[in-house]
Amino acid sequence: MKTKKIAGTTIKRGRGEVAFSVFNYVFFVLLCIIMVYPFWHVVMMSLSSVEATAKGGVFLWPKGFNLDTYIKVFKDPSIWSGYFTTVMVTLAGTFLGTLFTATTAYPLSKKDLPFGKTMLFLVLFTMLFSGGMIPGYLLMKNLNLIDNRLSLVLPGLISAYNVIIMKSFFQSIPESLEESAKIDGATEVTIFWKIVLPLSKATVATIALFTAVGYWNDYFSTVLYINTKERWALQAVLRYMLTNTNQAMQSAGVTVAAATNVTAATIKAASVVVATVPILCVYPFVQKYFVKGVMIGGVKG
Amino acid sequence: MVKMAANKNAAKMDFKTRCQMTMRDMVKYRWLYFLLIPGILFFAIFKYVPMYGLKIAFMDYNQYNPAASQWVGLAQFVKLFSKRSFLPVLRNTIVISLLKLIIGFPIPIILALMMNEMRSLKFKKVSQTLLYLPHFISWVILAGIIMTLLDPDNGLITEWILRLTGEKVMVLTNQKWFVPMLIVTDIYKGMGWGTILYFAAISGIDPVLYEAASIDGAGKWKQMLNITLPSIIPTIVVCFIMNCGNILNAGFDQIFMLYSSHVYDVADIIDTYVYRIGIVNADYSFSTAAGMFKSVVALILIVTVNQIAKKTGNEGLY
Amino acid sequence: MKKKLLTLLLTGMMAVGMLAGCGGGGKSGGASAAAGEAAPLAEEKIDVLNQSETMRMAVVCLQGYTQPDSEFEHWMEERYNLDVQVIALPGWSDATAKITLLMADETQRPDIIWWWNMEKDFTDWVNAGLLVDVSAYMDRYTNMRDYYNSIDPGILFYASEENGSVYRIPGDIAEPACETLWIRQDWLDNLNLETPKTLDELEEVMYAFTSDDPDGNGIDDTYGLGGDGYDIRSFWPWIQGCGDGLGRDTFIKLEDGSYAYGPVSEDAKNWLGRVHKLYADGVITPNIVTDTDRDEEMANGGFGVTYSWVIYNNPSNGTMKSFYSTNPDAKWVPIDMVAGDNGNPQDEPASIGAWCYFGITNVCSDPERAYAIWDDMATPENYIHRRFGVEGRDYIDNGDGTYEIIHSGDGPENTEQGLGIKLFQDLFSRKDECNIENSEETAALFEKVKENSREAYTHTIEKKNPAKYEVNNELGTDLGDIVKEYMWGVISGSKSLDDWDSYVEEVNEAGLQDILDELSELHGAQMKQYEEYMAAQGK
Repeated sequence: MKTKKIAGTTIKRGRGEVAFSVFNYVFFVLLCIIMVYPFWHVVMMSLSSVEATAKGGVFLWPKGFNLDTYIKVFKDPSIWSGYFTTVMVTLAGTFLGTLFTATTAYPLSKKDLPFGKTMLFLVLFTMLFSGGMIPGYLLMKNLNLIDNRLSLVLPGLISAYNVIIMKSFFQSIPESLEESAKIDGATEVTIFWKIVLPLSKATVATIALFTAVGYWNDYFSTVLYINTKERWALQAVLRYMLTNTNQAMQSAGVTVAAATNVTAATIKAASVVVATVPILCVYPFVQKYFVKGVMIGGVKG
Repeated sequence: MVKMAANKNAAKMDFKTRCQMTMRDMVKYRWLYFLLIPGILFFAIFKYVPMYGLKIAFMDYNQYNPAASQWVGLAQFVKLFSKRSFLPVLRNTIVISLLKLIIGFPIPIILALMMNEMRSLKFKKVSQTLLYLPHFISWVILAGIIMTLLDPDNGLITEWILRLTGEKVMVLTNQKWFVPMLIVTDIYKGMGWGTILYFAAISGIDPVLYEAASIDGAGKWKQMLNITLPSIIPTIVVCFIMNCGNILNAGFDQIFMLYSSHVYDVADIIDTYVYRIGIVNADYSFSTAAGMFKSVVALILIVTVNQIAKKTGNEGLY
Repeated sequence: MKKKLLTLLLTGMMAVGMLAGCGGGGKSGGASAAAGEAAPLAEEKIDVLNQSETMRMAVVCLQGYTQPDSEFEHWMEERYNLDVQVIALPGWSDATAKITLLMADETQRPDIIWWWNMEKDFTDWVNAGLLVDVSAYMDRYTNMRDYYNSIDPGILFYASEENGSVYRIPGDIAEPACETLWIRQDWLDNLNLETPKTLDELEEVMYAFTSDDPDGNGIDDTYGLGGDGYDIRSFWPWIQGCGDGLGRDTFIKLEDGSYAYGPVSEDAKNWLGRVHKLYADGVITPNIVTDTDRDEEMANGGFGVTYSWVIYNNPSNGTMKSFYSTNPDAKWVPIDMVAGDNGNPQDEPASIGAWCYFGITNVCSDPERAYAIWDDMATPENYIHRRFGVEGRDYIDNGDGTYEIIHSGDGPENTEQGLGIKLFQDLFSRKDECNIENSEETAALFEKVKENSREAYTHTIEKKNPAKYEVNNELGTDLGDIVKEYMWGVISGSKSLDDWDSYVEEVNEAGLQDILDELSELHGAQMKQYEEYMAAQGK
């Protein structure tokens, strides 16, 4: 990227390029506003008074500022246990998942590895066919992992999609780099660890982010494998708060009035913020490495 | 006779040597196989072991007493295709996902290319961060926001449409507007995140190429067309093949959260349909059969597109 | 060659998978008790309060009011010498999947299971011997049985099997009718209008509410009718008021004992036409055709007529509290049902059968003791403790039959202080005077709408075992989709009543007659049993 900048300054920029540049910036500013607004809206809703959310009209700023909703959400013990579970699961899953995705993708990126293509196809195959809910449950049961947080980590470790993405990145690394190391007598494990991985920081960061988001947003594993409420993941707690109790009763054809809490709208908004903010806080830091990785890749590659 | 025997012999020899060569290669690459161990274990245990569950597509499965389950052959598939409403549902599924593919697929590529031309690193970083945002918001929440914005009474977008066209359009219950709404919101959620792979690919481009090009007097535009774009073609192809495999996944979460009977005609897809049928009968065999049908179609599509990609000189998926 | 290898590998892999899986499946399939066998009774009645042995009791219930180690849970554990384990189900949409898995796995199966709908699963549970027949216990420990019979003997008819066994205990039943017509009295007063008595008068009032600025703010921001979005019941006064009131969105029973489908009746055509006109004239909130939440709509206000819950009448009701906090001068009042074509206004009847059930499973170490405990918790005193907490702290007994709620199950104190109010609320609940949340007026209102819905109830069809109606289960969803699409299309104006005939034809083609035939066969037989059962109860 540095070299690109130098290259850019040595060339005189034509008028068309300037116009394009201006258009480019304006376009992205607008796009960013569109991207952010819905989220902004939720934050403002969560900070508004019950009356204002009911009447509508929260647009740019909160109406009738109030923090009670947050106080209420944070007093719910299940939010904290959910946080704990989700953070632990995400950390463990992201580390192991990214590592194993790389170790799986690297050998498969070698074209002359015997059975490599077959194995790749078998990996791809799992993207299309899966056994379904009950066999998955029986497997966990036979592994004795029901109601154990490990059951939230293990099934999502490697995804075929990530393996294929990573494999195609590894293929783009020039063979020559690895060849020279091989001549020095290094094994593939060393080459993978010392040369390939450092060269692929951007990809590794991408996959790590993919994996982390997957773990953070996963709620269905909780539904399937966890019984004890203290071990629920945050998204399952959140989803429960968000799904309206009345609705299901009506779909069951029943006329039972649930005494619902009318602050539901603000509670919902606040729960959403509570569950999303951590990822948004961590994200810029991950992205820092991510951008760095991109730059190193660019310069060294 | 002799000729045939000789041929056979040659084949045998050939097979034997090939086995030997394979063995030699396998020994040579033993460390690569060592690296593969966790991956193989994972896929075998967590993906292939549960796959026996696919058999219930050919059964009338009783999950509480599996011994009482009966083999019914292809009856579940016959049931699926003989449903009066299945064909329209299949059509909707294909229409929606094709539209998503055709319109939604190029957008991240264009965005990535445009963003790559940005000089200010800081601006680039900020806009990247913001563009990824919707990806982190689940459909449950996004659907809630969409419903607020499209509220027939006081929704922001409803009012805009009213001002622009002079018509009060209820997007969520209008058959003409519903599918475009699905496409737009899908693009909204996915386009930023979709650029991530292309960025990573662009970052892998050798800067020497750009230097050489600029010395040759190529402008930014030409560099983009002649260097950046061709370099990310392999990534584009991989993504395209993957998306083709998804053609029967028109987006359950999204549609399920937003649709209603007003738009069944245009928005009911296989997944939502099976969900509605399945809830009544708690019929796992039936939904497995529907899922298997989808998977087989996806497999055929992926293999075909992959083959085409390879024939046209691109790297395939496998 | 390569392809062959690939197929071979694939087949191999799948075979290995199948083997491994069958092992797992086989183990879980080992159901112990055969279906239909009544559990043996203990020699004498179990005294649940004096048991030396601690029994495990894992109970499944919706997450709503569950919290770890609540005060009420401890009360149960001490009183009955139990080790209570609460298995919290995830939200409504995922609960069914969880219940399925829990029941399919004998290592995780709870002692007490709770469910709703899942009719086919229930039949499978009974056939696989997963549930215990509690009919003998019911005769021995009578609190729950007596309560249900006092409300309606039919409740237990719908819960029992043909041979008299009872595998499912009703968890919660709705009041016989729970909705009523509401109107904004303050708007009526502002516009000097009388309370409407007929459907035509009601429509006139609605037009006035829409165009005459009833709230006097000078802005055209009010509507006549509002209510729960995407729910046909929001139009009940029209459904009931047009013709003989047979245009419901369900199957109905006619007076001569035959069966019909409401959505294709002339009555349905009539009310759809009227409602469509109102909607097109802007008298109904536009939101009503989209899936909006009833309580939220109600709290937001903006309309003057609605057909909605009776419990809105309770001073402690959150929805109304919220509405009045933003509209302090407003006044919603319940009024008598307006009269339609046939001059016989009826309120909407609810089902007699329970909407959710619970049952004791075959893993329970002492089913009789478990039943006896649950029955003990059903006494008025214990029920009020379970549902409303401790007198003096959580509620105040005014001594004159009225009560004041301090900490409700929905209140923050319940979760923050771990009170456990409303724990297991859908595993037996009382709608009689033990529901102290109801004010006197609300109780009277419930009584009124109940009386005023009995005639409409004669058309209601209740199925004892919906899983048995195979034709309906096969074709019903498609049929329902056609109807839903057409009805809402007509109301919102995207479809026309001119296409009525082709719509009816489409419904017929989807197999209406087959469903009706099955209905008259199976439901006819069921009603005979019902009469026999009721006659036996009368003795």
